[in-house]
Amino acid sequence: MSNNNKKWFSLDLGNTKKEATGSCGCGKTSGGCGSHTHDQISDKDFDAAVDAAIGDERKKDGFDQVFDVQMDRRTAFRKLTASLLIGAGAVSTSCSVTTGENAKEKAQIDWEEQFKGNYKLMTDEERNATVERLVRSYQLRKKKNINMSSKDAEKDVLFGYAFNISKCQGYMDCVSACVEENNQDRNSQMEYIRIHEMKDGKGFKFDEADDNYYHEVPAEGHFYMGTQCFHCDNPPCVDVCPVQATWREDDGLVVIDYDWCVGCRYCMAACPYDGRRFNWSTPEVPEEEVNKNQHYLGNRMRKKGVMEKCTFCVQRSRAGKNPACVEACPTGARIFGNLLDPDSTIRWVLENKKVFRLKEDLGTEPKFWYFMD
Amino acid sequence: MTKKNYIYILGCTCIVTLFSCKHGEGEYHNITDKIEAKSKNYHGTSISSEQLLEGIETVEISEGPHTFLIPERKSQIKSYACTECHTKPLHQLKTNDTIKKAHWDIKLAHANLNTMNCITCHNGNDMDNLKSLTGNTIDFNRSHKLCSQCHSKQFEDWKGGAHGKKVAGWAPPRASMTCVNCHNPHKPSFETRWPARFNTQKVKERE
Repeated sequence: MSNNNKKWFSLDLGNTKKEATGSCGCGKTSGGCGSHTHDQISDKDFDAAVDAAIGDERKKDGFDQVFDVQMDRRTAFRKLTASLLIGAGAVSTSCSVTTGENAKEKAQIDWEEQFKGNYKLMTDEERNATVERLVRSYQLRKKKNINMSSKDAEKDVLFGYAFNISKCQGYMDCVSACVEENNQDRNSQMEYIRIHEMKDGKGFKFDEADDNYYHEVPAEGHFYMGTQCFHCDNPPCVDVCPVQATWREDDGLVVIDYDWCVGCRYCMAACPYDGRRFNWSTPEVPEEEVNKNQHYLGNRMRKKGVMEKCTFCVQRSRAGKNPACVEACPTGARIFGNLLDPDSTIRWVLENKKVFRLKEDLGTEPKFWYFMD
Repeated sequence: MTKKNYIYILGCTCIVTLFSCKHGEGEYHNITDKIEAKSKNYHGTSISSEQLLEGIETVEISEGPHTFLIPERKSQIKSYACTECHTKPLHQLKTNDTIKKAHWDIKLAHANLNTMNCITCHNGNDMDNLKSLTGNTIDFNRSHKLCSQCHSKQFEDWKGGAHGKKVAGWAPPRASMTCVNCHNPHKPSFETRWPARFNTQKVKERE
């Protein structure tokens, strides 16, 4: 491969005068060191073979691969016509007098949804407009009414969560409630919450813990510990998002704009707590099980190829309710509340119990504390 | 020369200390500092649990510095008032016949018989109320006072909010479940059972 065709920058420290060294550490191109065999093809032959196979392609990168292609007049015309037809189709559905009113409205909604901005940058009117569009779209498609909110963070509220590891019995009622509340995909059995069954006296060994047990619980000699999105105050997932589709709200919730997410999953890789989930397929929820009380940043229906995660049930918490997991827990192991309210129960827990968080040394400042009786 | 060096090092240290902490607007060293600073001027929020508590009958209790609501209990007991059947003191109602008696289904599984029996909490002469270990009357709506005689640690946690569940939402006014809303007083421990779900997809993915 010629040197002027590198795809990355490498530092020239003056030791590049070595000629083609072959694939062997000995520096010789043929014979001598013992690892060179005669049936190995030479670098030159290899390059020629690759050139013959993929030609110019490998010298081009990104933009060039798409636009810098050889094209005669005929192909150019053919491609232009094809794209024109697609565009014309979209226009004709929305302008035609023969298509039904519903189809037109659907096309109109889809068009506007396609070109809306990032939720974070929207004005209140724009937010209301997109919520209205989504509600109308659902009505047109499923003939059912949903209730969607775009309620903002309340002033003087910072949500925090505490989990009592001596109370949790591993019943997993929280997981069930979460799936039902947040319209998670039933096919892939996506779950935001994981309950880890840990051995007593072994410490927190997540690699040895079982998060998918199925036996009578609590099992002898085990304790249970739940993990989900910890809504870090310094969230690494937000920092890595290349399109700013995820951010931290003023009340501390880390949320995702599902319509702005490009599905790169950087956030999933950046999260040290396995808090994020990806929709590998179009999420499916049986119509009668869809939770119709929704929030734009919360449990509204997602699409294929976007990230999602626990939002502390933003549709519930911003209305004063407890998240579904807190409400479902039969043991009272889950405490939720406003960290800024000095009289709140979560504050009492933080001030009076021996609390700890996971991977505190990372500086992510999770707002999810564990404690014991 | 050495003096110059010292000044240089001192200067560097100063600069490093000055710039090492980002004291920008809204930035704190950690979440604890942030909570402390931001809650100094806390005057409540517009979010309230009152609406969620509508239709739930509650009574207000004050325990130490904590004042909160607990669900009203008497209306939830199926055959309260007890004196509707227990018209006479218990010893007068006692019979030796073998017919199935009322409360036949109650089996006491709370501590052991050395520590507790029926009359540890119930008063045969005053069935409409509970009684403390010293014989004082405790109202059924204040039954936590009875439990707290032995379970003092749990009581402390419950008062603060670390033990037990909330009724309705997180926002004030605080309404917490009382002991008997989760624990059957005659058989207070939680039972083992099967988990609510099992993720078959996870099993497949990990094969």
